[in-house]
Amino acid sequence: MGHIGNIKTNRRGFLKLGATASAVGATLASTRLVAMEQELGGADFSAVTGEKRTAVPYTCMACNIEDGGVAMVENGRIVKLEGNMDHPNTRGKLCAKGNAGFLHVYDPDRIMSPLLRTGKRGEGKWKRISYDEATSLLSEKLRAVIDRSRAANDPSILNETVIKWGRNRTGGGIDRFMHALGSNAMLNHTNICESSKKVGLEPSWGPDIESCDWENTKYILNFGSNILESAYFMNPNAQRLVDGVVDNKAKIVSFDVRMSNTAGYSHEWFAPYPGTDSAIALAMAHVIMTEGLHDAEFIRDWTNVTEAQLLAHLAPFTPEFAEQESGVPAKDIRRIAREFATTKPATTFSYRGPCKHLWGAYQEAAIHMLNVITGNIEKRGGYCLPRGMGWPQPSPNPPKGPVPSIIAAPPLYPLASHHVSTNAPYMIMRGEAKVSVWMYYYDNPVYSYPSSHVWNAFLRDESLVPFSVAFSCFMSESTELADLIIPDVTYLERHDPESMPSGLFPCLSIRQPVIKPLGGTQEFRQSLIDIIHKVDPDGALGARKYFEFDSVEDWMRQHFDSIPGLKEEGGWDHMKKVGVWPTYGTVSKDNGKLIDDNGEVVVAEYGLHAAEIPAATMASAVVEPDGSITKDGATIGVQIDGKNHTGFGTPSRRIELYKESFRKYGFNPLPVYKRLPSRDKKPGEMILTTFKVNVHTQSRTASLKYLAEIYHKNPAWISPARAKALGIADGDLVRITSAVGYMVTRAHLTEGIHPEVVAISTACGHSAYGRLATLKHKEADAEWALGGDPDITNNVWWDDKGVHPNPIIRLSLDPIGGSQAWYDTVVTVSPAQPGDKYGDTKVSVEASMKDYDEALRYAYTGDLHRAAHQEVDVDWNALPRPGH
Amino acid sequence: MHADKFVIPAEAASATKLETDVEVLRAQAGLYAFLGRCLESEVDQALLVALRGPLRDTLAELGIDIGEDLRSGAPKEVLADLGEEFAALFVVPGAVLPYRSAYETGRLFQPQADLATAAYRDAGFDFRNILSGEFPDHVAVMLAFVGRLLERQAEALEAGNTDAAAEWQRRREHFLLHQIGGWAVGWSRRAQSCARHPFYLAVLGLAEQVIWADIGDIADEKTLKRLVKSNRRPLVKQKTDHAFRKASGF
Ligand code: SF4
Repeated sequence: MGHIGNIKTNRRGFLKLGATASAVGATLASTRLVAMEQELGGADFSAVTGEKRTAVPYTCMACNIEDGGVAMVENGRIVKLEGNMDHPNTRGKLCAKGNAGFLHVYDPDRIMSPLLRTGKRGEGKWKRISYDEATSLLSEKLRAVIDRSRAANDPSILNETVIKWGRNRTGGGIDRFMHALGSNAMLNHTNICESSKKVGLEPSWGPDIESCDWENTKYILNFGSNILESAYFMNPNAQRLVDGVVDNKAKIVSFDVRMSNTAGYSHEWFAPYPGTDSAIALAMAHVIMTEGLHDAEFIRDWTNVTEAQLLAHLAPFTPEFAEQESGVPAKDIRRIAREFATTKPATTFSYRGPCKHLWGAYQEAAIHMLNVITGNIEKRGGYCLPRGMGWPQPSPNPPKGPVPSIIAAPPLYPLASHHVSTNAPYMIMRGEAKVSVWMYYYDNPVYSYPSSHVWNAFLRDESLVPFSVAFSCFMSESTELADLIIPDVTYLERHDPESMPSGLFPCLSIRQPVIKPLGGTQEFRQSLIDIIHKVDPDGALGARKYFEFDSVEDWMRQHFDSIPGLKEEGGWDHMKKVGVWPTYGTVSKDNGKLIDDNGEVVVAEYGLHAAEIPAATMASAVVEPDGSITKDGATIGVQIDGKNHTGFGTPSRRIELYKESFRKYGFNPLPVYKRLPSRDKKPGEMILTTFKVNVHTQSRTASLKYLAEIYHKNPAWISPARAKALGIADGDLVRITSAVGYMVTRAHLTEGIHPEVVAISTACGHSAYGRLATLKHKEADAEWALGGDPDITNNVWWDDKGVHPNPIIRLSLDPIGGSQAWYDTVVTVSPAQPGDKYGDTKVSVEASMKDYDEALRYAYTGDLHRAAHQEVDVDWNALPRPGH
Repeated sequence: MHADKFVIPAEAASATKLETDVEVLRAQAGLYAFLGRCLESEVDQALLVALRGPLRDTLAELGIDIGEDLRSGAPKEVLADLGEEFAALFVVPGAVLPYRSAYETGRLFQPQADLATAAYRDAGFDFRNILSGEFPDHVAVMLAFVGRLLERQAEALEAGNTDAAAEWQRRREHFLLHQIGGWAVGWSRRAQSCARHPFYLAVLGLAEQVIWADIGDIADEKTLKRLVKSNRRPLVKQKTDHAFRKASGF
């Protein structure tokens, strides 16, 4: 005990006083001392002059979530990026990638002028030319294809003009361009992303994704998705997931072969055998249905199956069966199934983890079904429809090209509604399709595709690809193989319309140049206008009329100036000022949530499927015997208990758990589990899986200083027990061998991985993409020698850029969704052999070509497909002919 | 670094003697113009003709070897070859970017570019790019600017305006010391280490010597020391901490 004056003090007394004081609360708070950031977002000041910086809204594109941002601009330079407080789903926060994105703009390795190849492909010899020369040259090549097609009276030749993209956020710009040229040969990247998830969902409920109400849920079943780091809609979902778990006390259970940061954050984590998610989900459905925990009414009213059908279908998928397949204990599956069904509201989420396997679409369909049978659909805190908004296309809008493209829609994959882009080089190498001009935009297949060496061989071969054009502003592994580079600008210097269903508040947003395009560079959209004007100078071809824009901004105005509601607020001019429309409220400074003028949390709209069809619309509509409502030949809703609802975006307007389109091609119409060939690997073999990390996209961010410093090497995760058996210690050099070749990397021993799995992250091991991604400045000054960059010279402390796993990953496809089965490659892992060096990679194009043949055996016409689907009620001798 | 701070302080009055020899000034102007032209853009037909004609003997006399192909090769091939070399050296990713911003900060178009523009404008000039990706702090534009300042000085002297001549000299010396002196020599050296064609080796070597000689004439010893250090910017091989090599060192 001590004395201050005549006051008696002891620790207990201090605490008592403190507690009393804190109960008094705000009255005693200092009014002078404030949090360092006095205003949340929207205002920023120069550290030198104290002047307010110009704030320009934009939409982020450092990755594909399309969050709303505000660029702080000082003296015409971007000095800082922040989240847009008016964006209802971003809520003022960008992730690390989003914060670092402005480094792209000033990157000394940015391609700043069009380049024409002068040496052999990939030799690195270029001539600098102007945008005018570059667009003229490409126009001549494109015009030659059109002229040849006309001369031969063969419109299929038009499809020899091909464009492939990794990220197309042009809001219809590329479609307009290609259709104006008469070509349908457009390839996206979705089959190396989540296409089988989309195909597992679309026939069932219309859209290709769910929007979980994380914030208001009580229970989350996460199947193989790294929500907090990298999954689709990472930043908005991560915020709301934390709200749900922290504020709403939701429970989260994760199934993932690897202990991701989301798995680590979960209340429970299970590491199932790779590709067995659907066995677990079906077993949970089995428990829920057999124990009567399902929502019978919802199944009856809103699906196209009966309880009896489901019970019969689910009978074999017991928890014991799932345990045998997945290794997850049956008792846990039962317990979690009961928890999920009885805790309301609840939702599942899944992304690439389950669907990037052979038959991945089934996995997604099985997980989706859990929400349906428990009636968690479109409920507050449940599993909701995505909420996006559209925008009109400027008129006139060109019709599609006259002939379908074989590489854009491979006939052996009729259900793959999101292309099968991995197959393009194989098809062309096999003579199944032909190319004259290959354009690539925001695309780096030589790095980011499975068996990436096949793309390298393909793009190098002038007999297969006579002329290639890259629109990239970075010298990626693919860009360096182009004949012509017409550099686009970065995402902070261009225009686009945007809308992403990244939360429960639908909105439109825009991309606009927050600074003038650096150094007189030209945005892609302007290049498209110029090219079409040169291909069709007098309009005689009929292409020019689709590109009669006075400017790129004029194009944007035509998207935004006539949208009801927005038009009244100023259309495009409003978007330029605010960046997003509509706004739903402000972000609370207390809890970061969206609040209205009264300080109440803004509540989203639910039950979209149950919206009633107005009486006026029902006039002359017909209610069919199955309840579907048709009008003028189209289904517009469904009648349930006498009420007319808009329903879901399916032909019956109900959730079609039974997919007739699957059955038609010999696939099981209901969600099933199929044992994967990788499940039957030999003892001693392992399964290679890849993953993304929170600070990188797959390929584009390795050149960003802030991010490269945080994460730049990617050792192989191996469990200590397995490593011990293999004679491998932490940090050892290891050789990982698949059927197409091997790579040499280092081992990272961790309990956070399934013992049968070896996991390697993406984003590392670049052979191109600038000096930081490749660390070339450390290898050979004279070849890569900016020199003098004090940041590179003094601060790049790391000399390990990692090793890229994609070359040894085999091409393998889900025959339903057409998606690359990233997580099915069987490998052996061994200590490195004498002479092996870190980073060595040896792969064979011939071996990869065999994988293409193997993949086709699983396609709907293939022998392995038929063998695996004997249970399907279809006439195997009368399957539709490919292309029909 | 802010462009609005670009005001030549009065005390920056030239400490060097006013150069009054018009012929010397014009020769120097020609030299800077030559260097600027060679580094600003690809060699074209007109420059090739000049290199093969009026400049040929002088360059040879100075012992400057511009390469046999440039002296006598087929023009089309020579120009193509030099264009390729220009792109590799100064333009494409991995090049020795000829911008002060890139050299000093590792980023394109930083306030260094504003400083250069401010100096040009203050002297009645401006920068415009012909091709995309060209910025005002390009070494060649800076050298050309010095050439123009020398010309102006000569013109002032011819018009009998000594005060104006002194002002042009002051501007030039200030620009040389503050905007060129700290990096262009080091940059030239680095570019020489990457140059493949004798022409660019020769031009870069010449640029290095000319700039350094002029700076040597106007800088005091202390400034000279500072500039030597600033230009050197050696590539530092980072000490590798072996803990980082441990693969699991997350
Ligand atoms: S998740 Fe990050 S990088 Fe992606 S759009 Fe949002 S802020 Fe940008």
